[in-house]
Amino acid sequence: MSHDPSQPTIFASSPQSLSSRPPVLEARGLIKKFPGVIALRGVGFSLRPGEIHALCGENGAGKSTLIKLLSGIHPHGSYEGELRVDGEPVAFRSIRDAEAAGIGVITQEFALVDDLSVAENIFLGRPPVRRGCIDWTTMQKRAVELLAQFDLAVPPDAPVRSLGVGQKQLVEIARAMDKKSRVLILDEPTAALTEKEVDVLLKLLQRLRAEGTTCVYISHKLGEVFAIADRITVLRDGSSIVTLDAKDTSIPQVIKYMVGRELGDLFPRKPPLAPGEVLLSVQDLTVARNASEKNFLKNISFDLREGEVLGIGGLMGAGRTELLTHIYGAWGVRKSGHVFFKQNPLSLHTPSKTLRSGLALATEDRRRYGLNLSMAVGFNLSLSSLHDMTRFGKINFSSEYVRNQQFFDQLRVKAPGQHSVVGGLSGGNQQKVVLGKVLMTGPSVIMLDEPTRGIDVGAKLEIYELINRLTAEGKGILLVSSELPELMGMSDRIIMLHEGQIGGEFVRGEFSQEKLLAAAVGQTAAVNN
Amino acid sequence: MNRSLLQKIAMPTALLLVWLFFSFMLDRDALLGREGARFLFIGSRNLTQLFIEYSIVATLALGMFLIILTGHIDLSVGSGVGLIGGIAAVLIFKEGWPAPFALLGAGGSALVLWTLIGVFVVKQHMPSFIITLGGLLIFKGLFWLVIQNSTIPISRGGEDNLYSLLTTYSLPPQAGLILALGLTAVIAWLQFSDRRERISHGLPPGSGAAMAGRIAIAAIAIFGVVLICNSFRGVPVSLLILTAVAGAVYFITVHTPYGRNLYAIGGNEEAAVISGIQVDRVLIGAFVLMGVAVAITGFMMTAYSGASTTTVGDLMELDAIAACVIGGTSLKGGRGSVVGVLLGAFIMTSLLNGMTLMAVSPELKFIARGAVLALAVWMDVKFSRA
Repeated sequence: MSHDPSQPTIFASSPQSLSSRPPVLEARGLIKKFPGVIALRGVGFSLRPGEIHALCGENGAGKSTLIKLLSGIHPHGSYEGELRVDGEPVAFRSIRDAEAAGIGVITQEFALVDDLSVAENIFLGRPPVRRGCIDWTTMQKRAVELLAQFDLAVPPDAPVRSLGVGQKQLVEIARAMDKKSRVLILDEPTAALTEKEVDVLLKLLQRLRAEGTTCVYISHKLGEVFAIADRITVLRDGSSIVTLDAKDTSIPQVIKYMVGRELGDLFPRKPPLAPGEVLLSVQDLTVARNASEKNFLKNISFDLREGEVLGIGGLMGAGRTELLTHIYGAWGVRKSGHVFFKQNPLSLHTPSKTLRSGLALATEDRRRYGLNLSMAVGFNLSLSSLHDMTRFGKINFSSEYVRNQQFFDQLRVKAPGQHSVVGGLSGGNQQKVVLGKVLMTGPSVIMLDEPTRGIDVGAKLEIYELINRLTAEGKGILLVSSELPELMGMSDRIIMLHEGQIGGEFVRGEFSQEKLLAAAVGQTAAVNN
Repeated sequence: MNRSLLQKIAMPTALLLVWLFFSFMLDRDALLGREGARFLFIGSRNLTQLFIEYSIVATLALGMFLIILTGHIDLSVGSGVGLIGGIAAVLIFKEGWPAPFALLGAGGSALVLWTLIGVFVVKQHMPSFIITLGGLLIFKGLFWLVIQNSTIPISRGGEDNLYSLLTTYSLPPQAGLILALGLTAVIAWLQFSDRRERISHGLPPGSGAAMAGRIAIAAIAIFGVVLICNSFRGVPVSLLILTAVAGAVYFITVHTPYGRNLYAIGGNEEAAVISGIQVDRVLIGAFVLMGVAVAITGFMMTAYSGASTTTVGDLMELDAIAACVIGGTSLKGGRGSVVGVLLGAFIMTSLLNGMTLMAVSPELKFIARGAVLALAVWMDVKFSRA
């Protein structure tokens, strides 16, 4: 990977005919190798001025690496192939070079400073300056103008910490627009947004398109992709497979290109013929965050039986995660009500006790609560089950290895081996490691909080099949999901939460997006409960 | 890949450079065979001395290692070393207790104090940096109160007791050799049985040559140390104490669920809670073990000084932290090994010992110690970005 001195540097000026407008950004034959892995094995695509171009592909297909090349994070010379801006070859040596060429990237992890204000964040690193001092008046004024453009009704001096996820996203976009980006690359922008926030974002992107900004839109949510994209490029195993006009193709066709095979039913749920005994019973549960705060979860009751998948839906902040983590013993102070697990009351319990009694939780934020990212796959898999492999106080490494390998194979974790560091795996494989750790403890009830967030179609299907297998063994599943199709596809019953209360309960057969949403926003008064 | 190799050879290389430097500065006459020249640094007399100093620093560093693994830190251990050694001295010299009871009593107070620190850190959510910074001052004050700012001998009438023998007693040469043989045999047996078990489970057994190499290196190191010591007075008992402590800490961190939990907490405490680890208990346990290490170090250090005086244990917390970090322990927690800490402590002790022999002024010694600590942390920061 040597630097080619004959390569022209940024914006080498040469006469350019304007008869046909060249692509704003073009990639040709990109190949990127990491030690032991080829991340990109030949990617080419081009962006027409003013289009929204979606990049689709499973995790590990090479999308993130591609973005890193386009945005200068992997500098010129560390890869093979060519990038062109307006038809001219460019050599980005840093993010700064890419920004100077008008390419702005908005990643999944926000680059915002929580304790600074909205305006300070928008102008982070390049505040308006007058006579060597920050010009606060101009900063406020320009921030107000930008925010108005994005219909963002927050004061510019509000700390970013106080904003919702969707608002933070808009602040990021405002910042990119202030940098005069001509190409905006959005990596999974809607992963954490509510439906309403997604609508706002998509409208905004359409407006930016009308104003001539070119967008690269990366998302696993194909519905959104089809709602907004003009063209779609599919990546698979580090290669660009095909570029399609959105109006000439369909979701099944794109999925087929993404996985390289036909997928059967997207949600292969096989409900049990007759659910068994009650495993988990929640009765009139009322919980507050702290003893001194007002109640957050109010009068929640439900039963979960053997072999059943109980879906729990609701908008962000409705209390889904809090409900699971309280049952698990990791959140909140109970004001009233009972939780029974296999007829035994769970109160004042700790995660370690709950887990040992056979009730397990796979958390929503796997990087924060699920995994030890700097450690190996094997370390993470066995972490909750070490006592089963210990004799006379000593871990039996061989039986640990054998047991790890069993789950490693069974869940089809795609990694070189147990010794691979978890932080280097794709989202879907990290999720499999979390599930492997949870399942190794041999639980009879598994609470899954957003088990498919940010993972690709193929891995999603594997997780759905796993859910089927577990319920067939008589285990009970509590499934929290923000995606209604998934919730409806995989649950036998659904409870919708609305502001910490049950807004409605539905059984399979009476599911519909409208009914569920109505319950989530509290529109159905006193549902049959 | 290259980076991990670099990390692996960085420490032994640094150690080698330190030794080459001091042998060149101190022993070049003797090495060239000049008449009347004696080995100062690599002579068996100094090396035995160095091993005793090493035992003291490394024991404390091994305790510190358990704390740093969880991502916490303990700045109070230097003062603690003085205090616990001082309590034992006072019990013997002023109260007339028999030495074994005095050591047990002082050790018991160490357990109480470090349990308290652990409880404060865990239950009251006080940052360990601050509470142990407070402990540094409080223990120093207590220490001076206990010994009333004077010098307390560790035995009555200058006769030997268990306390004073901690750093003066040496094993007879034959006993040292037998122990070396036994230790080598145990290491070889552990390696073989591990391999046998892997094979019986159908796992890749790993290269046999590498195993033989590991056993050979261990044997050379063990016999080398014993032969060096035997050519002076024999293996000092403090080195045996270190061996026992190192063996125990190695077993805890590598072979027990408890050790795994230390790594898990240091790597990601929130995930550890959700994974069902009783984080509170594990952390308090780590501080209790730190207390044990402080007590053992306190006894050895005070015995080495010959009496309990106000300066015993000064700045030892920094040597212990430096040894851990030089040895590749991450200050963020979750990464490090016993072998690394032992090597780190050896580098640190060799530096201190060599500088003393070269009659480096105390001013420069402070500066050198600080520079080594800063350098080690810089390397830690650099490598953790991997």
